[in-house]
Amino acid sequence: MKRRLLLVLSLGVLLPTLTVLVVAGFGIFQHEWAMEKVARSYVEDLAQNMAYKLDQESPAWRRMFPYSMNLHGWGMSSLASSVPGWVAIVNSEGQLIYASSGAENLASIWTPDIPIGKAIEIRDEKGAKYTIAVIPTSENQYFVVAAVEWEQLLGPMVRFNHLWFILVLIMVLSSLVALIPLFKWVIVPLRSLVNEIGYLKWGKDKPEKDDPRAVSEIRSLRSVLYDLSRAAIERDQLRDSYVNDIVKIQEEEKARIARDIHDGPLQAVTAFIQQIRLFKITSARGKSNSGDHLHLAEEAANATVRELRELCDDLSPPWLELGLANALTEVSERLSRHLGIRVTVDVPEDIALPEEYILSFFRVFQEAVNNSFRHGVADSVSGKVYREGEYVVFQIQDNGKGFEPSPDFQKLRVEGHRGLANMKERLGLLNGDLAIESSPGEGAILTCRLPFVNIENK
Amino acid sequence: MGVTVLLADDHPLTRAGLKAYLETEDTIELVGEASDGDMAWDLIRKLEPQVALLDIRMPGKDGVTVARMIKESTLPVAAIMLTSYDAQQYVLASLRAGARGFILKTATPEELSRAILTVAKGGLYLDSEVAQAVGEKEFLPEAISVREREVLLLAARGFSSKEVAGQLYISERTVQTHLASIYDKLGARNKTESLLLGLKYGVVTLEELIE
Repeated sequence: MKRRLLLVLSLGVLLPTLTVLVVAGFGIFQHEWAMEKVARSYVEDLAQNMAYKLDQESPAWRRMFPYSMNLHGWGMSSLASSVPGWVAIVNSEGQLIYASSGAENLASIWTPDIPIGKAIEIRDEKGAKYTIAVIPTSENQYFVVAAVEWEQLLGPMVRFNHLWFILVLIMVLSSLVALIPLFKWVIVPLRSLVNEIGYLKWGKDKPEKDDPRAVSEIRSLRSVLYDLSRAAIERDQLRDSYVNDIVKIQEEEKARIARDIHDGPLQAVTAFIQQIRLFKITSARGKSNSGDHLHLAEEAANATVRELRELCDDLSPPWLELGLANALTEVSERLSRHLGIRVTVDVPEDIALPEEYILSFFRVFQEAVNNSFRHGVADSVSGKVYREGEYVVFQIQDNGKGFEPSPDFQKLRVEGHRGLANMKERLGLLNGDLAIESSPGEGAILTCRLPFVNIENK
Repeated sequence: MGVTVLLADDHPLTRAGLKAYLETEDTIELVGEASDGDMAWDLIRKLEPQVALLDIRMPGKDGVTVARMIKESTLPVAAIMLTSYDAQQYVLASLRAGARGFILKTATPEELSRAILTVAKGGLYLDSEVAQAVGEKEFLPEAISVREREVLLLAARGFSSKEVAGQLYISERTVQTHLASIYDKLGARNKTESLLLGLKYGVVTLEELIE
């Protein structure tokens, strides 16, 4: 199941918020309605009470009219002052007959559409809320107007109600506002990161390094992914350069073998065919030198065999299986013969190494002697093998012109000087190492070091 | 007095064999031997042999380069390429460089002397082994049209179908139709073959090719 963070968070925040909003809203309105009911019944009671009293006292009251001051005698004033709100009596013509204290602002809130016999709420021009009721006397001669200001009657409750409403509103708004950064700093950056990673060609592309919009956790996630993808690119490039190298070496090797076959056995066999044909021609013509051609043909055939054998030896020397000492001695003698320089090697008979070690030393020796001859113009190369603790060491020293060894084998490789890099990598495959000591005019010393493995333990 | 010949081959055994071949022929006179391209070029200028037998692969200048230098110097020397490679592209490259003949080192003495005598007379000689792909049996090709000839020559100079189309103001498709028709008429399977066959049957001349 997909876990939609935004949805869950939004619902988690919004649902309670909305519930609170609804419940609180309902409560506030209920409260408001209850307060309204209280105020209405209060003013209606007040007015009705007064109207009843007026009816009871009607004759005397009428007699007294219009001396409203005497109304106090009926206890009006005590009523009016002992309870919140105020009352007024108007006649059917709308003339104010009596007003309790505080009823002065009747005119300011009076509107013609106030119904008779039923309390309603009105506001004065300052916005203060009143509940007002108009109750007629039994003969409809007079109307008792009773009103109360909410602030006066229900002050703290009204304030509480308003405050409560504002608090709820603030809560709702702040939770909505909190969702915005959640969306902008978390959801959007996460989505864009997911999108980028989704379309990323691993080993080729990398994501943006930083996203300033995002929260720090996402930024560090992004930076980790960036580092990973960069490492992947570097690894791929390295692999590509190695594959390139391998392909190049393979092609070079094939080209070299083809060239060797072309220049060697192919020419020799051609010469062989030519001499056979010449023998046929000369012997048919009865010439005395026809035997020479047979002799030359034999020579050409011998040359072919010799060249093919050299080619085989070079491709995969069969005498490697004779052990380290024999193999290195053989190659030193061959190189010496082939290059016309002095090549010696000193190997203790008691060092027996696995075949891949022998092959490794053999190739390194071959390469080193060739380098000494070609680049160092050395006329003497000597090698020696010895044990040194856990290692078996093969040291090759020449009397050539020396060189400034570069510590960066990778650079050498890139520049096309693969010989030393190849030697080092070859030894590296067997957990070995190669050290070079040389300086111009001083010759060169190569030291190969391989962890010693006794052949019996292999 | 026989046809004067210079032999350039870096391999001493094959050179000795070829030399012995040439010595069996009275009509051919070997005037010089070279073991590399530079030496061959020096001897060609000094001796001006009628025919130069040039190994394609030699130290110094290779045979094709020497042939091109002969062509450019307008020396009256006919070059025959001598090689162990039988790739048809080598043949074309040699002919474009101005060689008049192409022969494998394994050719018989008869073939070698025929090649030398042919080019000495101004002819063109292609080794029968290379020309095997180019139809061994006697075969009289159907005449190709003027337009087809133009297409063949341009294609022979190494232009692509698109470039040929551009030069002749025809569509690439038409060029391909012409080429297909040329292949049909000459019995060739590809451009190189049709060209070699064209040369062989005299449909196109070497001069036109190296123009």
